[in-house]
Amino acid sequence: MKGVRTIKERVYSRYLQKKGASKPLSEWSQFLSKMMAVEGKAEALDDMVVLDLSYANFSGNVAASFFAEAGAEVIKVEPPEGDPSRILSPYGANRQGVGIPYLMESRNKRHITLDLESPDGRENLKRLAKQADILIETFAPGEMDEWGIGYRQLREIHPGLIYIAISPYGHYTAKGKEMAEMPWTDLTSQAESGLAALIGDLPSAPEPYNWPTRAGFYAAGYTSAVGAACGGLIASFFKRRTGEGQMIDIATADAFASCVGFPPTIGYVWKKPRIRYGTLDYGLCPYGFFKCKDGYVAIACFRDQDFRAALKLLGKWKIEEDWKTLLDRITDDIDKVLELNEVVEKAVADLTYGEINEKFSAYSVKAARSKWRGGGLPVTTKMLTAKEVLQERHWQVRGTFSKVEHPAYGVVTLPITGKMSKTPLRVKWISANIGEDNDYIFKKYGLTVTSQGV
Amino acid sequence: MTQDYFDFTKKLFALEDISHKKEALKGLRVLDLSHMIFGPTTAKVLGQFGADVIKVEVPYQGDYWRGGTYWGKYWKHSNPLWHFINPGKYFVGIDVKKPKGKDLILRLAEKADVVIENFTSGTVEAWGIGYSQVSKINPKVIYASLSTYGQYGPYRYFPGWDLLAQGASGVLAATGHPDTEKYFKVPDFFGDFFPGYFAAMLILIALNYRERTGEGQYIDGCQAEILMRSLFHFTYSDALGKDLERTGNKDPNCSPSGIFKTRDGKFLALGIATDKQFQSLCKAMNRDDLARDERYQKAAHRLRAEHAEALYKAVEAWIKEKDADEIVTLARKHRFAAAEVMDDVQISNDPWRRERGSVIDYRDDMYKKLVIEGPIAMLSHTPGRTKWLTRPLGYHNRYVFKKILGLSETEIRELEKERVVGNWDYRVGQRPPIYHDITKDKIFNYEGGEDH
Repeated sequence: MKGVRTIKERVYSRYLQKKGASKPLSEWSQFLSKMMAVEGKAEALDDMVVLDLSYANFSGNVAASFFAEAGAEVIKVEPPEGDPSRILSPYGANRQGVGIPYLMESRNKRHITLDLESPDGRENLKRLAKQADILIETFAPGEMDEWGIGYRQLREIHPGLIYIAISPYGHYTAKGKEMAEMPWTDLTSQAESGLAALIGDLPSAPEPYNWPTRAGFYAAGYTSAVGAACGGLIASFFKRRTGEGQMIDIATADAFASCVGFPPTIGYVWKKPRIRYGTLDYGLCPYGFFKCKDGYVAIACFRDQDFRAALKLLGKWKIEEDWKTLLDRITDDIDKVLELNEVVEKAVADLTYGEINEKFSAYSVKAARSKWRGGGLPVTTKMLTAKEVLQERHWQVRGTFSKVEHPAYGVVTLPITGKMSKTPLRVKWISANIGEDNDYIFKKYGLTVTSQGV
Repeated sequence: MTQDYFDFTKKLFALEDISHKKEALKGLRVLDLSHMIFGPTTAKVLGQFGADVIKVEVPYQGDYWRGGTYWGKYWKHSNPLWHFINPGKYFVGIDVKKPKGKDLILRLAEKADVVIENFTSGTVEAWGIGYSQVSKINPKVIYASLSTYGQYGPYRYFPGWDLLAQGASGVLAATGHPDTEKYFKVPDFFGDFFPGYFAAMLILIALNYRERTGEGQYIDGCQAEILMRSLFHFTYSDALGKDLERTGNKDPNCSPSGIFKTRDGKFLALGIATDKQFQSLCKAMNRDDLARDERYQKAAHRLRAEHAEALYKAVEAWIKEKDADEIVTLARKHRFAAAEVMDDVQISNDPWRRERGSVIDYRDDMYKKLVIEGPIAMLSHTPGRTKWLTRPLGYHNRYVFKKILGLSETEIRELEKERVVGNWDYRVGQRPPIYHDITKDKIFNYEGGEDH
């Protein structure tokens, strides 16, 4: 790997080898290496209090996590029996009854219990909300309002409150009202927001492989969460300037379409829906991961010169004439594209990833040295599983995975990002016991402990 | 009470009021040096909520995505899939590789609150417009460098984009059917857009901090790392000592769950998260036996592979005999989650999304009607909005150089002659639509005076 790295550096750092660039660049590396250290640095949002009331909706948990990573005091408020999303976990895998996804998102949070079905619980929530900057909730639209603790009531007692509601169809519109009772799942959000329709094998493949397929992670859930956090931070920026609060509404059925924007515009300009494209790409060919001897390798030809380079390296130069320009490789004609794709498939099948990478890198070095910039820079990478990613030195150097030890859950590995020079995001602790912080939080915020419990 | 509540929210989020409401980020200036999708998306979010975004491109070449598209389809001499990535920005053409061009960029950076770039690591530093140079003349700046592998670590010089980031991060390995050799990527450059929004979130955190303390900072936004943040697969892999395999149409976190084919040939997603929802499903299915079965009482048990499979089969058989509408009606009545799989056209024409403002019939002065997506979050008091679609390359040169940098017409002409600044050549994606008379365009030929 070391040799490969040097080759890559020689190609892609050519800008850095310019005259006079070395001194500022060495100062720059020093600055970057200081960025790695998190200890002793300020936390951007440690003047904020966030209430996380999310219930059986994972995007609420995640949105709250982002505030917690940036230093806010995040108080997860659960009913006495706990939030059902605790156990939503692959095949039920858990530690001490806490599912893997919940454990992953239980970073830097306080856990308390309030019974919002009881008047005392609601009084306590009001007291908390008065002292909070942000409240996140995922109940059925109108449910909090019915309990007397919705945005309409809370803004009366705290006009600066930022109230984030996350639900499948949102808190306004006719459909939002009609579908208010419909609960959240990531799968239905993927389906409804246009993602599932685009994943799956070609129409010619057998059922169910050619059916709409799920993206194998909480693609919709995390998208909604980032949207909610962006909204909350925009509102909190405005509040810092004006003191004014507001309500933010996230519809999880919007997740994919609102993030990538392709489905609404394509539906309008194309006038017909796209078919599922298997492992092909809607824009370019060859552009994807191909099966090689020891795994899957990316062959991605952006420009004509990259395509020419790839053909030479894969020993398929003789077909160049038929596929010369980007216009010849437009992927609207599926049969035509499959023909080209199969040529690449076959060429790659006989090689190992190492062989392909070595050829591509060596070619790139030559092309980068050449004064003629038409040589193309073919780049590649290998498909990695989670386990393989964890072993990559690059991510170890960057501290992408935080290992946290907890007396009950043992050692837990968590991905973390948000490298900021003054206020980096970080994992400080994990805690997920129901009501773990009741004493501390009740005292700190002056809540009442009642005879029925809390 | 619910009736009443929806009347309240209807007023709170009324689309017709948006244009009169305040903008949260008004007065902020963003210098967008980025290209393609990842960086431009980040800048777009800040622009939607009120910041002035100045997008810098290479004259006569422009952002590569201007000339890109799917299936070779262009629209009004432009890439239709470019407009919703760069709406409402100011478009200037400056050649960074010419010393005078670099100075112009630095002068804009001096007046910026946020700078965004997404070149390969180290490139902007070598050009002299990186954080170390900009922070000397503008210490309060928030400077975000966005890249596939990040600014430090052994892979920092690797170029990359969505496809490579999906492969390197573990996203690609997560999707597909377990018994096949095919791995599906998440389409439509999700690996650019999701990190784009995430990077906007980091900038917003930095803006909140700057509001408190007056301090700016540097952000290293790493695309592959951001994708990893959305996977529970690492935590799973380390806790169980094995990777989570692909699960096809089923969500292993929900049982039963899947995407099913209905009697009327539609595809329907259904997922059961809680014990209560499972009881509701059994009621809708008239399956008292399942409702009472010991094995299925608790989510933790239902999720076990063999139980999940048995329940999947039962639901599959049930849905096969029903139309999609029937299932959704039952789901609504009984409170469990079911939704039809929506395609491009259904989403584009969806009355709910129009009423909500998440799909918009946008009418632009230059390009006329285009359907685009609304903001990712709906804010009641400071909502996001689209001010215009994109503009041709270098369209705002005069507007920006005169208004912000105070250059005179003579100075601009001189810079044009030296090709330090410039606009489009005749390639598709750069030039104005053919019906637009650019000689009469007051903004393109800006002489001074009114705001845009």
